[in-house]
Amino acid sequence: MTADSSFSIEYESKDPTGSFTSIRAKFDKWLAEQAEKAGASLITDSRVDDLVTEGGRVRGIIAGQDKIPTDAVIACDGTTTSLARRAGLATMLEPEEVSMGMKDVVELPAERIEERFGLEPGEGAAHVFVGDCSGGLRGGGFLYTNKDSLALGMVVGADDTSTKAVPSHTFMDRLRNHRRVQRLIRDGKTIEYDAHMIPEAGPKMLTRPYTGGMLVAGDAAGHLLNNGYTFRGVDMAIVSGVAAAQTILEARKRKDYSAQSLQNYERKLREEPALRDMYTFSKVPRYLRNNRLYNVYPELVCNAAEAVYRVDGNGKRKIYKEIRAQTKGKVSTMSLIRDLLAGARTF
Amino acid sequence: MSAQQEEMSLDKRLALVSFSKDPEPFIVVDTKLCVECEKKPCLYICPAQVYSWQDQLTYKTEGCMETGACLIVCHKIGAKAISWKYPSGGKGVSFKLG
Repeated sequence: MTADSSFSIEYESKDPTGSFTSIRAKFDKWLAEQAEKAGASLITDSRVDDLVTEGGRVRGIIAGQDKIPTDAVIACDGTTTSLARRAGLATMLEPEEVSMGMKDVVELPAERIEERFGLEPGEGAAHVFVGDCSGGLRGGGFLYTNKDSLALGMVVGADDTSTKAVPSHTFMDRLRNHRRVQRLIRDGKTIEYDAHMIPEAGPKMLTRPYTGGMLVAGDAAGHLLNNGYTFRGVDMAIVSGVAAAQTILEARKRKDYSAQSLQNYERKLREEPALRDMYTFSKVPRYLRNNRLYNVYPELVCNAAEAVYRVDGNGKRKIYKEIRAQTKGKVSTMSLIRDLLAGARTF
Repeated sequence: MSAQQEEMSLDKRLALVSFSKDPEPFIVVDTKLCVECEKKPCLYICPAQVYSWQDQLTYKTEGCMETGACLIVCHKIGAKAISWKYPSGGKGVSFKLG
């Protein structure tokens, strides 16, 4: 999108049952209940402050005054992961390895959503925006439907937003005020705002996702994939949690929770189809640091589309010639070819 | 019929978020270091504008959305002045609708 135009590619799946959206506040509670039904004890409202380490391995956790011994800890403490850092598996991430994600939840009746997005009851739609909404910085916008609300948000590179001195939250209004987005959220009522730091470094953010007596899963282990057109994290967090649990069950049979006994975890992660995608698209983060993707190309595509589709009696160029004319002075042919080839190799 | 455009601002957004105040200071900033900080990245990264600058760095922990991004940018681009951890158990932000 540019400031006042947008170009869309739309795909309608023949089988819309494969993906769905969920409200995390409800979903997480439900998932925790399933774990409790299966025999787990759930302790919330308690912060893990530190690890108990002894003889080079993790032996338990410290939460306030309590010291709780464990066979194994699964650290799922988010992108900052003080636990993985404490265990020597990670150092602090670089700003270019993380992004700031922000989201408005916009309430809108289900019938309005279905009518507006052309959906049958129970169906949903997801949009990704690139271009003007991030002001030329690394990032993009998203909008997806829930049953009776929309999730509208922005993701911006932590390095870009801090060094270019643009407050991250201002991108929310930049996206929201675009007329393309305005039409989609019209008459909606914003009911919640939330934010989340997103790890973009992938699994290499840890030297390894396990050590004696401890495994790391979810955001804390970089289990996330943003390949520019899909943003995934929840499915990967779930799958890595399952892999961690299976690894511990196997270790329990051997009564051995040493690093060597837990190393199967990494193999499981690499073999798991949902997580394998992270390795497949491992070069994407570097490609997405090319700022031409956020200013030059959206502008180019929109201007070319305007020239191609507008019938004003001034005569038309063929599409290829129009695109060539639009690139003049904005991007060199070499850069364009290089970006296209790199793109073909990366995705 | 022209539809009403909902005007949003950060203050309006933050008013929609539930916070439970943690009496323990889970963010501590050595603000003396900030005076020398050239880039002041915390002012820009925070989605809730916890940090602001009026001759010196000021911060209010109540609005913290617990992303932890301030810790990273402060230590890598800034003055290594911020120490940040999650609030005490049961305190801090809770998201209910998204």
